[in-house]
Amino acid sequence: MTPLKTVGHATHRIDALQRVTGAAKYTSDVHLPGMLYARVLRSPHPHARIRKIDLSKAMALPGVKAILTHENCDVTWSSGDQLNQRRLFNNPVRFAGDPVAAIAAVDRHVAEDATHLIEVDYEVLPFLTDLEEALKPGAVAIHEGGNLSLNNQRQPLPQTYKRGNVADGLKAADHVFEDNFTSAHHNNAQLEMRVSVAEWSGDKLTVHAATQGIANCRTDIAKDLKLNVDNVRVISEYMGGGFGNKNQCQDSDLMAALLAKEAGAPVKLEFTRKEDFVAVHGRWSSRQSYKVGVKNDGTLTAIQFTALTGAGAYRKGSCDLSGTEIYQVAHLETSVSPVYTNTAVAANYRAPAYPQAVFGIESLIDDVAYALKMDPVEFRLKNMTRKFRDQTPYTSIGLEDCIRKGAEKFEWKKRWKPVAGSGPGPVKRGAGMAMGMFGSGLGRSSAVVRLDGNGQYQLHVGVTDVGTAAKTTMGLIAAEELGVPLEKVTVVWGDTDTCPYSVGESGSRTTVQTGMAVIEAVRDLKKQIAEKGAPKGSEVLTAMATTNPPPLQGVSRNSFVAHFAEVEVNVETGHAIVTRFVSAHDSGRVVNPLTAQSQVQGGAIQGIGMALHEELLYDKRSGLPLNAGYYGARIMTHLDAPLVDVVWVETDEPYGPFGAKTLGEPTIIPTVAAVANAIHNAIGRRVKSLPITRDKILGVLA
Amino acid sequence: MKKISRRRFVEGTSAGIVAVAAIPAVEAQQKSPVTAATQSPVPRTTIKLIVNGVDHRIEVEDRWTLVELLRDHLELTGTKIGCDRGECGACTVLVDGMPLYSCSQLAVWMNGRSITTVEGLAKNGKLDPLQEAFIEHDAPQCGYCTSGQLMIAKALLVSYEKKNAHPTRDEVRTAMTGNLCRCSNYNHYVEAVMAAGGTAPSTGGGNAA
Repeated sequence: MTPLKTVGHATHRIDALQRVTGAAKYTSDVHLPGMLYARVLRSPHPHARIRKIDLSKAMALPGVKAILTHENCDVTWSSGDQLNQRRLFNNPVRFAGDPVAAIAAVDRHVAEDATHLIEVDYEVLPFLTDLEEALKPGAVAIHEGGNLSLNNQRQPLPQTYKRGNVADGLKAADHVFEDNFTSAHHNNAQLEMRVSVAEWSGDKLTVHAATQGIANCRTDIAKDLKLNVDNVRVISEYMGGGFGNKNQCQDSDLMAALLAKEAGAPVKLEFTRKEDFVAVHGRWSSRQSYKVGVKNDGTLTAIQFTALTGAGAYRKGSCDLSGTEIYQVAHLETSVSPVYTNTAVAANYRAPAYPQAVFGIESLIDDVAYALKMDPVEFRLKNMTRKFRDQTPYTSIGLEDCIRKGAEKFEWKKRWKPVAGSGPGPVKRGAGMAMGMFGSGLGRSSAVVRLDGNGQYQLHVGVTDVGTAAKTTMGLIAAEELGVPLEKVTVVWGDTDTCPYSVGESGSRTTVQTGMAVIEAVRDLKKQIAEKGAPKGSEVLTAMATTNPPPLQGVSRNSFVAHFAEVEVNVETGHAIVTRFVSAHDSGRVVNPLTAQSQVQGGAIQGIGMALHEELLYDKRSGLPLNAGYYGARIMTHLDAPLVDVVWVETDEPYGPFGAKTLGEPTIIPTVAAVANAIHNAIGRRVKSLPITRDKILGVLA
Repeated sequence: MKKISRRRFVEGTSAGIVAVAAIPAVEAQQKSPVTAATQSPVPRTTIKLIVNGVDHRIEVEDRWTLVELLRDHLELTGTKIGCDRGECGACTVLVDGMPLYSCSQLAVWMNGRSITTVEGLAKNGKLDPLQEAFIEHDAPQCGYCTSGQLMIAKALLVSYEKKNAHPTRDEVRTAMTGNLCRCSNYNHYVEAVMAAGGTAPSTGGGNAA
């Protein structure tokens, strides 16, 4: 690839100064005159019908200004749930944490106190926490129509995919392997909790939201509150992480807006950390079953995959699983069934359908390779995908280089043990690898670029920057296309009043979708400059472009990734740590190697937490969550984190801005599987359930 | 269900911290907790404290935490709340030079104390070397934990400066392990602190033995 002037060079974030001085204003930092504080009362029961709510004592508390319940507020939260007509306040309540009331008061203490004064009469109902029990005949129905949620065609059937004929493929195999794997519900656990600040001016509503997409947040708020979209403004200047749980609008946005309307004053609603764990959402759990056919020479002949996924109490995400597509195989059947239980809702978390599914298939494939006495790296090079679903050519593919260069950097031959568990104890070392792929989301995006008489460019884009350095990336792309230094471009972001529509920072699509709109707007501006000359004095030239790419026909655009992990496992205590990690990525041309490295290292370290620690546990007898919060979740800390070496495999992608592909989500996809495979290599036994905690390691060794 | 007041909760959870962090004796007058049901006035106490070199005399409600005082009443929102229960470290500030979770300190305990927040790191318009290093090494991703990471790192580097030493990678990781980063940019945070602390990047090796 030809080097470029601006894109491809390590560049500090344009807002780095604000981030290190405390000047960056996040939603929770917004303070408006006369602002009230809100708190939410939540169901203490996993499943119950509300007979009566008595607000009299709470309303009598001095300082309480407004209270919403299902009795005075019947608003559907549609962006949260397309299938269940989920309300802001539901009756019956379907999980411990389902909102029952929201209170606005003069300060946070009075609001908190008021939650204790609301008297709710519950009729406690039978509840379910287990996926398989939820599908048994006679199980209590959490929603009308039963506990099997609808598929993508809105039928009460599993989501399926099929090519070839699995029975034929298994017949052609020399060996058939079968196994089952499970993964846990675990939380996005971003540092910034759910928070919204709402303010009305006449019939105009302004919401300061912690959102991954100001434009979608705005249209969703307008839809749910039945407002003209022009009367809704969404501002998100700085955003403290989400990893998928701040897409679209949130129930807190709607509650804050309704409370502010009712009370006639601005309202700030902040969830607590515990609420953020129990009542927002986490990654869906899974029960996976595989049957894999393989020839003596290691050629895959068939994969059959069936799974249940845990939607929780309401359907908020696809609840799909994607992992088998990384293999070339003529005969493939997959079937995934999302199931309701009376537990926390599951929805998007960084590559929502991938890491748990890749854990399953990559664990089993590892076992196949060992059984055939093949090096797992060689097995994957032999069977890795060459065309999308064995049919459609990729626009660019660097997967083989990811595997080869990653293995070289990792010193795979030196670290991997051909006989698993053969190292000396009690602290045993092992190495594992896994691979993954990801197609970025599509969607409409616009960009506006203007040039003033002083030679300064302004780029208006509807990004919020969830931590990915999206503002800087957009600035770099504009500067490169303009042929000017980045300092000449002022980026304007985070406010629907000043920024055009952007698709939202989900699906790892900002660089590839909004980035293309930036390029097209700049090209238009350059054309205008060529025709009219550069503006002078108070003159301004403005250009706008909107891109809304249809899905590519006849080709598939995907990023590819291979991860390599080395672990140490103490076979006496079950303690496992990751000691070395290599992450090799084909994300096309890397727009900003500095911030991209942050994302890749962070994605891998987050994935190690998913592999080893994280699970939201439920007590089956009470239906209550046991470990909501950071201590219980045991997310990765400074001391848990290994050094992550990053290998870039820069393919020349014809469809992306300056050859870029998608990056944010692939960074976590094969991590969990690589760690699981390394633990197997170290101890010679396989843990088939996430997270791979000490007790499970000791269990398989017993 | 038995109600626990904010004050009793904070005092309860910070008992363990007192032992290890040697918090100076509580100077504010002890008052019995007031529950909402009684609707009696909330006790208030006037305290004097210094924040980022500025003297303040302020009447606080006894149930306010330090982070609440800083953010809601002194307009110093650089200090963040990530959990409000002593788990994440986003609210770390320096109290008489000692790094403490400001969500787990009551405001009334701060009488006579000197507080430094992230807003007080830069001096005379010049960034602290740690802030420079955080920019250079792209330490903040979403940035929400960054203020806390800066303050714990500041306390660490000051203590090493006093003994004229440079922290190793593992010493940095150990000192900062009470400060969570869900973007998990731990590698860059540690590199930035080592650079600001004058440590060669090759010192120590993460988890590698």
